[in-house]
Amino acid sequence: MTATATRTSAATAAALRAARRHRAVRAFAATTGLTAAVAALFVLTMMVGSFRLTAQEVVTSVLHLADVPSVDFVVRGLRLPTALSALTVGLALGASGTVFQQLLRNPLASPDFVGITSGASLAAVSGIVLFQVGGLAVCLLALGGAVTAALVMYLLAWRDGVSGYRFILIGIGVAVFFEGLTGYMLIKAELFEARQAMHWLTGSVGQASDQELKLLGGALVVLLPLAVILSRKLRVLELGDDTARALGSRVELTRAALLATAVLLVALAVAVAGPIVFVALVAGPIANRLLGPATGGIVAAALVGALLLLSADLVAVHLLPTALPTGVVTGAVGAPYLLWLLATTNRKGAGG
Amino acid sequence: MSRLRAEGLTLGYDAEPIVRDLDVTILDGKVTAIVGANACGKSTLLRGLARLLRPRQGSVLLDEKAMAGLSTLEVAKVLGLLPQSPLAPDGITVADLVSRGRYPHQGWFRTWNDRDHDAVARALDATGTADLVDRPLRQLSGGQRQRVWIAMALAQDTDLLLLDEPTTYLDINHQVELLRLLRTLNAQAGKTIVAVLHDINLASRYCDHIIAMADGAIVAEGAPSEVITAELVAKVFGLSCVIVPDPIAGTPIIVPAD
Repeated sequence: MTATATRTSAATAAALRAARRHRAVRAFAATTGLTAAVAALFVLTMMVGSFRLTAQEVVTSVLHLADVPSVDFVVRGLRLPTALSALTVGLALGASGTVFQQLLRNPLASPDFVGITSGASLAAVSGIVLFQVGGLAVCLLALGGAVTAALVMYLLAWRDGVSGYRFILIGIGVAVFFEGLTGYMLIKAELFEARQAMHWLTGSVGQASDQELKLLGGALVVLLPLAVILSRKLRVLELGDDTARALGSRVELTRAALLATAVLLVALAVAVAGPIVFVALVAGPIANRLLGPATGGIVAAALVGALLLLSADLVAVHLLPTALPTGVVTGAVGAPYLLWLLATTNRKGAGG
Repeated sequence: MSRLRAEGLTLGYDAEPIVRDLDVTILDGKVTAIVGANACGKSTLLRGLARLLRPRQGSVLLDEKAMAGLSTLEVAKVLGLLPQSPLAPDGITVADLVSRGRYPHQGWFRTWNDRDHDAVARALDATGTADLVDRPLRQLSGGQRQRVWIAMALAQDTDLLLLDEPTTYLDINHQVELLRLLRTLNAQAGKTIVAVLHDINLASRYCDHIIAMADGAIVAEGAPSEVITAELVAKVFGLSCVIVPDPIAGTPIIVPAD
């Protein structure tokens, strides 16, 4: 080869080392920055409101370093559950969304679009309308609905293995079907239940109960590290099924494990906060922009998800004249972002 | 003794098998070309040999052991395959892509070590892609991109390397460059190479051994000068032709008769 003559192997080794170091430094810097930003926002959301607090007051109260009854009531009683809910739901949505997108090799393949969220919505709305349930029951129904929807799609998409493309198309079909049924439920509902169902359907981090938060928090502790460990296998799965098999990956097993992890994450998030749109869709691409292309950092995407949801909650509850559900804000910010993303990627000729 | 061979191999995707009851032996330390008309089953055979397709009947033997019974990761340390159209994530850099070839050598938690580093550096050097490490794959020319993919397969560090139509989207200059690269890899690293090729003239010039297929069966195999005859080309491709010797290497060249 002609090109090898111009460089010695030592130079190649050095160039490779430099490339890897550059990547590692960038990943570390981005992840550290994101962690700091998430921590700052987490504290900030608990400082603002009709009863203003300092950062010190919030932190000492959350960590039980000092006991001031009035501060503790506001922080631990009112604001901490919402902030924790925004944090955990955001982490789960961000991680789940990026796993879906990488696994199905399509930036539009977020769980919002492929029917998992609509499965949760149908189950939750059915519960509210038909059986007048509330609280934890709605949460569990939504969880079951999301997991069932994912299973239905997986089985429908199975033909000697599951291809990403077929899964997305079937997912979109399933989503439309479930949304139709949800609409039917709403029409049949009494005014009070319909209002409750609509409120659930907009998505809000402010409605989570203690038990729901514990469920989601516990699941995150297990599922997030699992997703990170499995993401190494995603790096070869991304190269196509044939390449992945040639490299010794057990493609179907890996895909099923990753899908199960991502489905559980998003199902729990939706169960706790309702369908909060666009966070799962945009977290992965934003994380990739920070880390560099094709890095697919799960932790970074999860942190971006948390950052987005904490900001959305801050805007929804405090910056607007009337408090709105979080889902309205993420939708309003997310939709233009999606259009911009599609427009810019197409301009580069990358085809989205 | 041959490290890779198949016995009574039947392969297919749907009800109708594409490759039927086929015996084939891949010669160690040689460059083998599988040739044949479109849809004759040559890519199917290659995928079967690389355990990407489970045999309907018969078996593929790697080092005299049925491949179906071996762990896929163990196979991946000995046998590499470059598919016809591998996918690359958007924006991936050359260094990142080639490094992913180390997958079978890494465990669940093991991080990058010196052996991985050396293997990737060697693969980049061997394919002349060391200058491209920081470049996104998408910005490269077709010839460069194909060399990067081969570097990825080389980083896997296997004794056997299978390639599915590696020259298909390349112009003639890059086709020749790629086949020379395969020859170099065979000569310097002693790799056994099997490639599905479309161009018989290039196959006979650069390969030691030719397997000609038609309708899912092997029609002829052997050294190019023995195998490439006017009768074979008529049988395999339905083309009437004259065979002339290559003025440089003396290998057979196909010239259409009318």
